[in-house]
Amino acid sequence: MRTLALRTSGVALVLIVWELVGRRLGDALLAPPSSVIAQFVPQLLDGSILAALGGSLRQMFVGFALAYAIGVPLGVAMARLRLVDALVHPWLNMAVVTSVAALVPLVILFLGTGFWFQVSIVFIAAFWFVILAVYHGARGIEPRLLEVGRAFGARPLQSFSKIMLPALFPYLFAGARIGLTHAIRAMVVAEMFVIVGYGALIHNAGLTVSTAPLLGLILLLMVLGIVANWSLTRLSRLLAPWYEHRAGG
Amino acid sequence: MRLGRDVLDGKLVVALLNALPALLIGSGLALFVGIPAGFALGRSRALATMFDPVIDAVYTIPPVAFVPFLIIWFGLYLWARVALVFLMSIFEVIIAVSTGARDVNPGFLDVGRAFGARGLMLAWKVTLPAMLPFLFLAVRIALVRGINAMITAELFFAAVNLGFLMNDDARRFDTAGLLSVIVLLALFGLLVQEGLKVLEARALPWHLREAA
Repeated sequence: MRTLALRTSGVALVLIVWELVGRRLGDALLAPPSSVIAQFVPQLLDGSILAALGGSLRQMFVGFALAYAIGVPLGVAMARLRLVDALVHPWLNMAVVTSVAALVPLVILFLGTGFWFQVSIVFIAAFWFVILAVYHGARGIEPRLLEVGRAFGARPLQSFSKIMLPALFPYLFAGARIGLTHAIRAMVVAEMFVIVGYGALIHNAGLTVSTAPLLGLILLLMVLGIVANWSLTRLSRLLAPWYEHRAGG
Repeated sequence: MRLGRDVLDGKLVVALLNALPALLIGSGLALFVGIPAGFALGRSRALATMFDPVIDAVYTIPPVAFVPFLIIWFGLYLWARVALVFLMSIFEVIIAVSTGARDVNPGFLDVGRAFGARGLMLAWKVTLPAMLPFLFLAVRIALVRGINAMITAELFFAAVNLGFLMNDDARRFDTAGLLSVIVLLALFGLLVQEGLKVLEARALPWHLREAA
């Protein structure tokens, strides 16, 4: 009860300060929440914004799914096989510190600015973070579990699917959450660079007199991120409630 | 090959050096604001309950989405880049520092209190030293994210320094030139990260011994 009151008051405080500062500065500099709602909600109901977002998300999901499908086995392989680790780890270190934005001009030269360009930017951004999460999970698997498996005659593939995957479960979700966050970021980077889809909407909103539509679009991305995080956490609790206390869901 | 040539003829070095002010000012500001904020959130349960949801929510926004907004406020040059660097590192700094402040061993605090330390003195003499590893982590994150933000800003605002070189190379379909900028940035990021790790091992040897 007290927690709820504190939470609401925190959010309310931020909104009130924003409203007051926004009224002072005016719509051109910082539109207050009241005018964001007044101007953005009609645009949102019009449907074209959601259509653009849907189109962008489709490409994002293709990239993210590819990154996940390749990243998970590779992360496990890195953790269990010294050779793969030696081959991939230097690239992992380098990729994690490198900005996706810096790769955008290069990828454009190879792939143009279409569907595959956006898919590959999202892929590059999410891939390494999926690997990182799964790698740390797989390193932490207790050797005893694998030994029991071997004692019962499990072959490598069997021990992967029967022992490692269940043990990795919380990390698979952590990887999905982190990867998805980076995938959404990369989607925005790619689209704002070539000015298409939802990124184009943000770019064009920046050129108008009022900041209200722009802030509305930014808030919509925030809602998207929160919903994605929340539903992944929910899903992992539904599928494996016994992992609740580990790895933060 | 190409990286070597461009570094030698100074083009890349000059561009990198010119890019640094935005990085240093932006990350510096992020640390300056983020460390006290993180500290307050980590030590006060009430503040954490009030503002954690807001911080988490804002943190999920892709920072690049703020670019048009930052252009309105800060224009296209140095201060816009500083602002993007600040935005991209501040939340990670707050999260790292507040985690550190939350994890301080309560035993240390009890001992401090038993010896009569209160309020600010307790914070300065006990909490702060205990969370030093997290402060190093915060600096590392701020700089690595900052480098990330720096090149993003140079590509998304007016193309200058390294961003200009990349745009120029891209126009001439010069993939070697592009790759040399990317590799330089990656090496620079790694250098900063590993350098800070070495520094941490020197400055806080007891922390590493505990971990080992």
